[in-house]
Amino acid sequence: MVEYNAYEMIAYTSSRLLKDKTTVFIGTGLPMIAAIHAQKTHAPNIVLLFEAGSLYPIMELGLPISVGDTRVGVKSCVMKGLCMAFELTQRGFIDYGFIGGAEIDQYGNANATMIGEDYSHPSVRFPGSGGAGHMAANCERTIFIMPLEKRRFCKKINFVTNIGYGDGSADYRKRAGVLGKGPWRVVTHIAVFGFDEITKKIMLLEVAPGYTVDDILDRMDFEPLIPNEGIKPMSEPMPEDLRIIRDIDPEGLFLKRKVEE
Amino acid sequence: MKKWSHRKPPMNFEWWGPTPKESRRIRISKRKDLYDKNMSLKDAVSKFIVRLGKRNKRSLNIGIGGFVNTRLPVAITHEMIRQGGIKDITLSYQSCGYVQDILIGAMLVDENHISIRRIEQAWAGHELLGLASCFRYAIENSLIEIDDYSNYGMSARFKAAAMGTSFIPVRDHGGSSMQYVNKGIAIRCPFSGDNVYLLPACHPDVAIIHAQVADSYGNCRIFGQLCTCSELALAANYNIVTCETLIPNENIRRYPNLTEIPWFAVDAVVEQPWGAYPVTCWGFYWYDIEHLKEWISAGKEFRKTGKIAPLEEYLNKYIFECQTFDDCISKIPYKRLRRLIELDGHQPITV
Repeated sequence: MVEYNAYEMIAYTSSRLLKDKTTVFIGTGLPMIAAIHAQKTHAPNIVLLFEAGSLYPIMELGLPISVGDTRVGVKSCVMKGLCMAFELTQRGFIDYGFIGGAEIDQYGNANATMIGEDYSHPSVRFPGSGGAGHMAANCERTIFIMPLEKRRFCKKINFVTNIGYGDGSADYRKRAGVLGKGPWRVVTHIAVFGFDEITKKIMLLEVAPGYTVDDILDRMDFEPLIPNEGIKPMSEPMPEDLRIIRDIDPEGLFLKRKVEE
Repeated sequence: MKKWSHRKPPMNFEWWGPTPKESRRIRISKRKDLYDKNMSLKDAVSKFIVRLGKRNKRSLNIGIGGFVNTRLPVAITHEMIRQGGIKDITLSYQSCGYVQDILIGAMLVDENHISIRRIEQAWAGHELLGLASCFRYAIENSLIEIDDYSNYGMSARFKAAAMGTSFIPVRDHGGSSMQYVNKGIAIRCPFSGDNVYLLPACHPDVAIIHAQVADSYGNCRIFGQLCTCSELALAANYNIVTCETLIPNENIRRYPNLTEIPWFAVDAVVEQPWGAYPVTCWGFYWYDIEHLKEWISAGKEFRKTGKIAPLEEYLNKYIFECQTFDDCISKIPYKRLRRLIELDGHQPITV
C-alpha cells in the first residue's frame, strides 16, 4: 500500500491526463509539478508555456514559486512577454490550459474575483482573473485542478471570472466570442470529473480507492451527473511516481498544504 | 470618402488616465534626440511623479512594470512612499504583488501622504507566498475603486496604446462577469461575423520600470521574461527607468536587437543596483522570500486585527528611516544578498 497525500494525488492525476507532444499553458504550483512529472515519465516531449513569456523551458534550477519566477525561463526555446504567450494561445498553438480557482460551478465557470453581492463592496476579495480568464477562453481544452472542498464546488457563484460553459446553453461560448472548446476535466484529490457533451454539466468520472460516491457528494454543493457506464477508480501513483513528484518539490511548498475535510 | 458609422461611447465610459488624443499630443511635443537622462532617483520621482501629479487636473495614472513579483520597480516605489505628496493616483498593471501592496499599505498608514483612488488590473497577490492583504482590505472596504481584466486584457490595453490605436479586439472577457464591470464592450466583427471583445487602450501618465541594463539615454535591455514592459513604456507618456547596470551607448549599438525600450520613450534613467529587491531580477538575484514574508505577515495581521503598527514598523524600517534605497539594502545582511545572487544563475548581456 503506497502512502500519498491529497496534493500528490492531484499532481499525479493531472500528469496522467496530459498527452505527449502536446502544448500546455501552465499556472503556478501543482500544474508545474504535474507537467514536470509528465515530462519525466510518459510525456517527454510535452511543451510548456508560461504567461510571463517563457516557451518550452527545461526547468533544472528547481521548482519556481510563481509563473513569473525567473526559474520558469531556464533554457527556454523562446522568451518574450505576456502578449506573446496569450496571443499564441488565441492563435491556436496551445492544446491544454491548467486552471485553479477559488470557486467552480456545475458548468465549469470559476470565480477568482470576489464574494458578495456588490462588486464595488465585496465581503471577500480574491486576487482577480490573472491569466486564467484568457486560458479558460482560448486554450483548446482546460483542466481545473483543486482539492475537493465544499466551499469550492458551489451551486451558484457570485462572479464568473473565468468562463466555462456559462449557463449551459449550447452556443454560450460561441456567443461569448471565445475560441477554445472549454472545460474538459476537473481534477481533485479524490475524484475526477468531466463534462456532459449535451448538457455541459459536470459529470463524475473517477473516484479514488477507499472513497464512495457519497463521500464525493458530501464535499459538493451541487450534484454532478453520473455516467451510464459507471464510475471508474482513480489510478494510484506508484512509488517511482511519488519519488519523482517529491523530488520536484522537496520542501513541500505546494504538496504539503492542507485540504479542508 | 467612405461614410463612417457613428456609435456613441458606452454609458458612463471614462478614461482612467490620459486620452489617446492627449497622449499623442504629449508624445509629439516631447524631445526625441539622444540626451543624458541620468539623474538621482529622488529627482526622477520628484519631477515625473510628484510634480507631474500636482500639475495634472485628474488622477495621475501610474503604470507598473514587471509581473507579480518579477522585476518590479521597487526602488522607485520606495522613493514615492518616502517623498509622499502623491494624492488620488490610479494604478494600472496586469499582475502585481509587493509594489502595489506597499503603496496601499502606505495609504492605510497615512492617506494624507499617499493615496490611491483607482486600480485597473488583472491580479494582485504574492502567488505561493500569500495574498495581498492591503489590497484586499482596501477593496473590501471600498477605499479604492477597481476595474478587472485578465492578464492579457491589461497587456493588450497597453499594447493598443503602444500601437497608437484607441482600442484592441481580444477573444477573452466575453461571457464572464468581467464584461459587466469593466470598460470593454462585446461587438460583432464586421469581417468574420464572430463576436469579439473590444478593450480601450490604457495610456498611463507615467510608467515605472526596472530593467537590467540601460544606457544613459534610456535604451533598455530586458532579460528573462519581458512581462509587458516594452508595451507599457510605449503606452505611457513619461517613463522612469531604474537599471541594475548602466552601459555605454556603443554597447547598445553593437546589439540593437537586444533593445526592448527605445530611448525616446524614457525620461529618467537611474542606475540602482538591487532596484527590484526583494523580488526577483533575472541575471542578478532571486527572491528574498524571508523579506517578502516580513511584509506579507504584517499585512495579514493588519487585515485580521486592524492593527496598523506592523505596517508602520515595516515602512519606517525600510523606507522612512532610509535616505536612499541603498540605505534600505544596507539593512539586509550581506550573506543573504550573496545567497540571492547565487540562487539566480542567469547571465545578462552587458557588452
